[in-house]
Amino acid sequence: MGVTILQPFPNLENKTGPSIIDFLSKRVIALGAQQVGHFLVDCETYTSVPQMSVQPKVVHVLHNSEHPASVFSILETGTKQIALVADLLFDLLILKMTPAYTSKKQTKIESKGPRFELGDFVIKLGIVSMSQTFKGVMVEVEYRPCLIPSMCWDLIREFMQGFMGSHVTNIIPPYFTTPSMMAPNQNKQNDIYQPIDTVQQYLEHFSNYRKLSNPPIMGMRN
Amino acid sequence: MATGNITSAIDSLSAAIHCNIIPQHEYLLQGSILDSQVEHLLHRLKGLCDNVDAGPEPFHDHEVCFSLRAPNQATPTLLLRVRKANDVDAPYQLRYIGQQEVGDRTRPTLVRNSLDIACTSTVVEYLQELGCRIDFEYTNRGYMFRKGRMKITVSKIFKMGGIPTKPGETYTEAISQSYLVELSVLAPTGQDGIGKDMMMFAEQLKPLVQLEKIDYKRLGNIP
Repeated sequence: MGVTILQPFPNLENKTGPSIIDFLSKRVIALGAQQVGHFLVDCETYTSVPQMSVQPKVVHVLHNSEHPASVFSILETGTKQIALVADLLFDLLILKMTPAYTSKKQTKIESKGPRFELGDFVIKLGIVSMSQTFKGVMVEVEYRPCLIPSMCWDLIREFMQGFMGSHVTNIIPPYFTTPSMMAPNQNKQNDIYQPIDTVQQYLEHFSNYRKLSNPPIMGMRN
Repeated sequence: MATGNITSAIDSLSAAIHCNIIPQHEYLLQGSILDSQVEHLLHRLKGLCDNVDAGPEPFHDHEVCFSLRAPNQATPTLLLRVRKANDVDAPYQLRYIGQQEVGDRTRPTLVRNSLDIACTSTVVEYLQELGCRIDFEYTNRGYMFRKGRMKITVSKIFKMGGIPTKPGETYTEAISQSYLVELSVLAPTGQDGIGKDMMMFAEQLKPLVQLEKIDYKRLGNIP
């Protein structure tokens, strides 16, 4: 477990999801990476029923195949964000909260695709889809030997630019520089990286994809 | 090639439910013993239980009970407990306990739904922000024994309160002059045979302690 950077890959030529994945896979393989299985990160969102509170509270429940025994949950109250990491049985508990919190099935979103390893790096190329509709492509790169984002960002950036080109900016993603909602005095880039940080990056991007009313291209081919 | 076969966590969980391997039922017998007599019971348990060599396992937990109430409903939707070990560094335990099953009266033990979930320490704040209310809290100190899959705890319950003098220390007051004795097993659905084993074990603790199936409904409106 090391530092993970998540980067959306723009779909400029209106390609289908699988063709972008194919294109990136070829580049990663050319660098010497080997495919080691697949990965899946999914997110389901529950909202409090109107009578519960004046301001609706939102509960996100995420799973990451890299941490198969855990459930990650992030509660947004409007003023703050509280993250909880729990055992898998937490999923059964969430179902028991249905009188107070309900989910919209159509907002279930996931990123899924091949997982590659190249020395100290793990590369994941994911197709983001919301209820079977293609939303975009996200690339996740993990550098395993280091736990402090600021110390390995340059290395990860250079590596990412190696196969994604100029789509990767020279500045560390805003997630690491904006004060964390959970600990406002801390700067994430100098903190020890934790699995919840990967999940929070996914949640940020998933929320952006959900806001996009029009999917970038037609339906995804499976 | 792009999207391979990978099972989602929800699918694996449904498969686990389908195969009936999730221990979500608690079989429970309870009783109590006076402080003055508890040493005898501990001796008896040392003789009967599995962890004889290591001696009884002490524990000191702080438990907070929460309830989530749906709007316009008098009865809580969900009762949750958070347990934190005061003596060792362990994950917090979030526990859901359902209503006791109204089954057959001849059933030897109380059976209720239960989910035990280890989680991070943010759970207390998480539940409060979720809309849960703290109903009560207490600390529980005692010993834990094992016999096969049965768990036996002999513990004393203390009230919370007062101002802690040192960090990590809380002033507590015993709730009664006796120890609570619990015999429990967590098992998947349909393993009612365990009830008989529990009864047999409980027989061996008589007359020191009378372990019984407690009908919570008869105790009145205790949350």
